Amino acid sequence: MNDKKVVEIKNLIKRYGARDFQTTVLKGIDLTIYKGDFIAIMGPSGSGKTTLLNILSTIDKPTQGMVMLDGQDVTRISNKALANLRKDKIGFIFQDYNLLDTMTLQDNIALPLALDGAAPKDVLARTKTLAATFGLEEQLRQYPYQLSGGQKQRGAVCRALITKPEIIFADEPTGALDSKSGKDLLQCLRKVNESGQATILMVTHDPYCASYAKDVYLLSDGTIKCRINRGNDRKEFYNRIIDLQTSIGGDFA
Amino acid sequence: MKIVRLAFLNFKNSFKSYLSLVLSLAFTILVFFNFQNIIHSDAFAILGQRNKDYIDMLIQICLTVLLCFLFFFLWYATNVFLTRRKREIGIYIFMGMSNRKIGSLYLVEISFVGATALIMGIVFGALFAGLFQMIMGAVSDITVDVRFGISIKAIKMTSVSFLSMYLFFALKGFWNITHSSVLNMISAAKQNEYLHVKPVVLLLKAALGAIVLASGYYYANKGGRNDILTNALLAVVLVIIGVYLLFGGLIPLVFQMLAACKGFLYRGQRCLWVNQTIFRMRKNYRTYAMVCIMGICSVTALATGFAMRDRYDNMVAFNHQYTFQFISNQSNIEKTTQTLLDGKSPITYQSALCALSPDSEQLLSTYSDVRQMHLLLSYSDIQRIAQEAGVTFAFAEPADDEVYYLSHLVLLSFITNGEAEPVTIAGKTYRQTQRIMTPYLGYMQKELACFYIVSDREYERLKAQSGLYYICNYKLADDSVFGEARAAFDAIVSNTDENYTARVSIDPFSNEEEWIKAVYSLCIFMFLVFIVASGCIMFMKLYNDSFEETERYTVLKKLGFSTRTLSASIAHELVTAYLLPFVVMTVSAYFSVLALGKMMRADLFVIYVVSTVVVLIVFVLFCALSIVVYQRTLLSARAKQ
Repeated sequence: MNDKKVVEIKNLIKRYGARDFQTTVLKGIDLTIYKGDFIAIMGPSGSGKTTLLNILSTIDKPTQGMVMLDGQDVTRISNKALANLRKDKIGFIFQDYNLLDTMTLQDNIALPLALDGAAPKDVLARTKTLAATFGLEEQLRQYPYQLSGGQKQRGAVCRALITKPEIIFADEPTGALDSKSGKDLLQCLRKVNESGQATILMVTHDPYCASYAKDVYLLSDGTIKCRINRGNDRKEFYNRIIDLQTSIGGDFA
Repeated sequence: MKIVRLAFLNFKNSFKSYLSLVLSLAFTILVFFNFQNIIHSDAFAILGQRNKDYIDMLIQICLTVLLCFLFFFLWYATNVFLTRRKREIGIYIFMGMSNRKIGSLYLVEISFVGATALIMGIVFGALFAGLFQMIMGAVSDITVDVRFGISIKAIKMTSVSFLSMYLFFALKGFWNITHSSVLNMISAAKQNEYLHVKPVVLLLKAALGAIVLASGYYYANKGGRNDILTNALLAVVLVIIGVYLLFGGLIPLVFQMLAACKGFLYRGQRCLWVNQTIFRMRKNYRTYAMVCIMGICSVTALATGFAMRDRYDNMVAFNHQYTFQFISNQSNIEKTTQTLLDGKSPITYQSALCALSPDSEQLLSTYSDVRQMHLLLSYSDIQRIAQEAGVTFAFAEPADDEVYYLSHLVLLSFITNGEAEPVTIAGKTYRQTQRIMTPYLGYMQKELACFYIVSDREYERLKAQSGLYYICNYKLADDSVFGEARAAFDAIVSNTDENYTARVSIDPFSNEEEWIKAVYSLCIFMFLVFIVASGCIMFMKLYNDSFEETERYTVLKKLGFSTRTLSASIAHELVTAYLLPFVVMTVSAYFSVLALGKMMRADLFVIYVVSTVVVLIVFVLFCALSIVVYQRTLLSARAKQ
């Protein structure tokens, strides 16, 4: 494991609502993500998974606590610095792909790097390399509406990776895919993680999906209940996740 | 009854979302109504007495433009309405309604939209006409009485034209619904997303568009005599079709090629706005074409207005170059008139010269008319009288086989082929190498005879075989003595074989040409209508589009793109949206103003540039407003996260 801390969260608290009617969604989370990690956050509905992801991806702000992203405290920096941080250090993968329907897959993948001011030659080369890695060379000229769900999501992964971000946040990446496409995508994510190209934090309710991560954190009632490590056997890891899920109870859908 | 009630409720509840459509239609009706109102107003009645052919041609051209515009706009607007409603009303199928009933619901609903737009268009049109009347009265300084009453005939004509076309498209929509499948209705809203068009199709459209447009430019500037009206109408129709094909073919093709060139595309925000432009072009090309055509109309109207104003000033100066002019076969005419003028008024300048009258049957030219005299003048004489009157004379002496024709300023001429036919004088053929519009011989040059300048040597040679006519011109310092002097001069006017003496004069207080100012004002009015209409249509279209973009920009914000980046991309996209119609308009308007210049026999390039700059300023203002509103809708803190 690499010792470089990509994300460091200390005593993260998030409350919603007015003073007298506050709901505490996150109740003091401590989490450190190192470079090369592949972490899955699981938890029943209402456990605070999405809130945690929103805060980590700087879309939302914590009520209390510290969130360090690549050495910068996201709670204390300006909006401009935050936008730069989001652009340069974070890659996003959404459940519903969020590819722009006005451009081809190639342009969708290239967009973040092109907007970042990279040389067109480099943008083109990197787009093609990533497309090759994810088996999308044939689809590059096609528009999102011409692609299958799996192809769209792999395209979204390419887009997330193109700026070589410090970390990728994936929100239910297989949620809209059939099992075959979901499996293909997870294998791709594992591949890029193992090749050292990406540190991944994935939020999911699916134990099968979580079993592709190196570590799974179980979140319940706003706190991290436990962390389990994959070890060497993914199937055995999957069974342990199911057991843990059963012991915690709640609605994981 | 239930259908009517349901349609009314739908219309009432969705009114806000259809507001831009209703307003666009109302604005179109406003334009059409105002134009009809001008035709049926007294202003045109005054002009009609002057030159009916000219007025008829203008009306024909403008009506063709407006009707084409109205047709395409209704086509586009009803299509937008149909696509929007299809998905929603498709749900009624699940409630057990038949396609026919849904079609009827659509028909009633679209009738409410049409009726609201028609009422709004006519009411606001009437108010706008009144407002314009006040503005025009204040700025145009017209002494002829131009009234902008509300014409019932204009209301009828507007209603009939609009409703007949609207009904056609409404029935087309009805037919479309009754023949649509449920799936088609429900997925209708998504249909426009399929935006990539085969390059071959675009190429064909582009080639056809270029040919049609070039033909339009050709016919606009084709010289002619009797076919000028046909050419002008043909040019208008061809340019309209050409512009539509250009926006539907060439421009998308160019942008698709730019998008395919990744070296170009992957620089800055281009990847975003070029793709957005392609997407929008596919959906909006009719709007862009329409705005472009209206832009051409506005530049042409403004240029015509400026040119008319300029021509008015020049015509007044031309006519009043001299207060009194005399032509006579009596050699003492100068002395006689001088005596009669003595003591009446100081003379600002005066001149005298001798003209030759060759046998008129020997003079066979384009302008030969036995009722008119054909007089030859010597180069030196004209040079001298120009100097005496303080008028510039910068012509070299014609060669012995050349003549210069002393023409006059006309408002418009249907003869636009510039080739002057040779003139045969006393058995010798001369080339007409100059057509001079400067009033060296003032009003006489316009009213009395055809004057040709020949070289001094030719003048001397022809002198022996020609009759002599003595011309003298006076410009009085005091115009108030005009009536008294004219009465005195009447005594010497004679038209006998022995004594031919004619007086040519124009009342200095005459308002003979005042009506041209009405044309000027009407042109400015047309310009205002067209430019405001095109700007508003563009603005409303983009404003409407901004709501369709909400989801896309939410994704972009989620991906972490800064507001600055997205703002820049929006600015590029919207500037392109305004720039494309402006560029096509600038090129097309050049040819339309060129054609106008040929008809006015004047170089209107400066006027064209000024008019284009005025339109550019208006476009820039609308563009800036669109950018601000677009950015506020999509990027403000209140915009959906």
